[in-house]
Amino acid sequence: MASLIHCPHCGVRPKEEFSIRGDASLVRPDPEASDEAWNDYVHIRSNPRGRYREHWQHGAGCRRWLVVERDTFTHEVFSVTDAAIVKREGSR
Amino acid sequence: MSRTYISRHPLDDLLPLEPGIRAVDHLDIPRSSAIVSVMAMDGEEASVTAGLAASGVVSIRFTGPGELLAVSQSETPESLHRNLSLLLAETAYIVDQSDGRVVFRLSGPNVRRLLAKGIATDLHPAMFEIGASSNVLCGHISVNLARTGENEFELIVMRSFAVALFDDLKVMGREFDLSAGFSVRV
Ligand SMILES: [Zn+2]
Repeated sequence: MASLIHCPHCGVRPKEEFSIRGDASLVRPDPEASDEAWNDYVHIRSNPRGRYREHWQHGAGCRRWLVVERDTFTHEVFSVTDAAIVKREGSR
Repeated sequence: MSRTYISRHPLDDLLPLEPGIRAVDHLDIPRSSAIVSVMAMDGEEASVTAGLAASGVVSIRFTGPGELLAVSQSETPESLHRNLSLLLAETAYIVDQSDGRVVFRLSGPNVRRLLAKGIATDLHPAMFEIGASSNVLCGHISVNLARTGENEFELIVMRSFAVALFDDLKVMGREFDLSAGFSVRV
């Protein structure tokens, strides 16, 4: 796993300071959406080999939610962005 | 029935009342400090930082974007809270943390080697300059670390973690013969 994360607020930090909360690319379905759509959203996850966007929380640092884009195979980290900024800029 | 609450330091039973022999590497623990958290209102982050810097009386610790700790050794918690509430009335929320946090002051030539046992962040003098501060993980405890002098660091920790952090620091400092004691009152 990527062991050093460059937090936009705190600088380079070890992964132990963060909690990983999973896939950041999921879009919450409409409340009226089918049970299948909700089941997929709540329970079904891909386990990609390669590039992946995740929510990480810097719990032991600035406590901000971040979106980390990384490669699950090479451990390379491509980008780390504050989740509020990602939200403001719309889904990428 | 009325009850009188007595303010106790969490390390009261673990440190001698009288200061002992002080080693070159020393852990100094103030009996009390005035600490408030400052949270900037949306869009006021820059003016809060500038306002606090201009006031000049408190020491500022970064905890997160728009969030700071203000620390004072000379003021009482009440006066610090009142002064900052007046100064930043329109731009920030001020909450007293004085009873909820404990301050540890580490000083000496070996403090970086001592801290490196628990903190993964780069503390090289050129990387972590005097006045720098940040929340970091020390072992398993989240602390606010600040560099306050050439070889001086301050750790601010939640009160309930103070005993655990004290035990960790003692173990980390054993090879340097780290001494520890409450600050001498001035
Ligand atoms: Zn951070």
